Amino acid sequence: MKNEKVSIILAGCIIGIIGSILVFFGNPANMGFCIACFLRDTTGALGLHQAAAVQYIRPEIIGLVLGSFLLAMAKKEFLPRGGSAPLTRFLLGFFVMVGCLMFLGCPFRMILRLAGGDLNAIFGFLGFFGGILAGIFFLNKGYTLKRTYKLPKAEGKAFIGIQAALLILLIAAPAFIHFTEPEGGPGAKHAAIIISLAAGLIVGALAQRTRLCMVGGLRDFVLFREWKLLAGFLAILISALFCNLILTGATSGTYFTLGLAGQPIAHTDGLWNFLGMLLAGFGCVLLGGCPLRQLILSGEGNTDSAITVIGMMVGAAFSHNFGLASSPEGPTANGKIAVLIGIAVVAVIAVMNTFYQKEEGK
Amino acid sequence: MIYIATFYSHFGAVHFKKICESKKLPAKMMPVPRNLSSSCGTCVQYVSDTACPCEIFPEEMEQVVCVTENGYETVYRVENS
Repeated sequence: MKNEKVSIILAGCIIGIIGSILVFFGNPANMGFCIACFLRDTTGALGLHQAAAVQYIRPEIIGLVLGSFLLAMAKKEFLPRGGSAPLTRFLLGFFVMVGCLMFLGCPFRMILRLAGGDLNAIFGFLGFFGGILAGIFFLNKGYTLKRTYKLPKAEGKAFIGIQAALLILLIAAPAFIHFTEPEGGPGAKHAAIIISLAAGLIVGALAQRTRLCMVGGLRDFVLFREWKLLAGFLAILISALFCNLILTGATSGTYFTLGLAGQPIAHTDGLWNFLGMLLAGFGCVLLGGCPLRQLILSGEGNTDSAITVIGMMVGAAFSHNFGLASSPEGPTANGKIAVLIGIAVVAVIAVMNTFYQKEEGK
Repeated sequence: MIYIATFYSHFGAVHFKKICESKKLPAKMMPVPRNLSSSCGTCVQYVSDTACPCEIFPEEMEQVVCVTENGYETVYRVENS
């Protein structure tokens, strides 16, 4: 048990350093990793949305899934399974993405934004924690999406195949794949493919081994006063913070700026930062893990998580096609409406799978 | 004997803990140990003379292991899991 805690803290430190260094190598500021943003960028590269500023097949996502897959195979933990309310998970994934794009980041980036001195992320964190508490309320009342079932190996490997295909498309760069023009926005800012892919592989393997999860950490702490996963969360924050401070001192770039205004790829509307992450936290607890965890589980052969990731990608496409996603100028009216609808839909899913499932079981 | 039961859902763990408590068996919920599974759900650790303190293993239960000096010994695992 003690070794488990030490390994999670060490993994968190390594992940935090990688998250910071990726910015040095070219990723957008405070965005060494962002599962929501990177899935959104990949969705754009495939032409599923037309926001030219955010289109790029992010190798980090591919690396995360493949890293998890390779380690799961090596440790005989690749277990294809699924069938636990896939459509519900798709919907939850969709609205988790809507919430993340209101805040402009997933829970992972929320930590990296804090490590970069972006105090707007505090509002996001408070909302995220509130959403987790809402989810825990339903967990304790009997929320369940029912069990998973063993599936054929080919089914579990289908998502791995999709990631491999994306890697080929990234390297081959055919004309039908959209890439943000140089200086055209965050999509144009990225580390070299080999560096991003290696970072994804390392973080994917570490997250598979340690089960690191931004939602699981807070959930386990509230439910059991178990701080093991939360320690990994804190290790990422502290190591990324130190790495940012060192990079700011040792290079010509700025990797840490304390304050609310003028933060990179962030807005200052505290209420909607709060509500966006409340939606994300609520949805993630009902899904059983944060967006990073969904990618890791997909790599282990969990097709329910793969469906969730696809739901998130569709959510990203909708968010940019219908003007739901925020920008540094602030949230949009459409985005505000979508977040409120999202909170309502997630609450209905929670109620239906808590109280009505019991009645069906009678 | 000390047993650890894992479940497909948190609800399954809550339900099983209530069963244990109704039979006056010491039981506590906790995160699933990493050595037991790569999933990060909730398990129940309980002390009992038998691995199955109720008539049949509950539907939501995935596996039961006995805690031994050398680690865990699987005593029940759902087929097709």
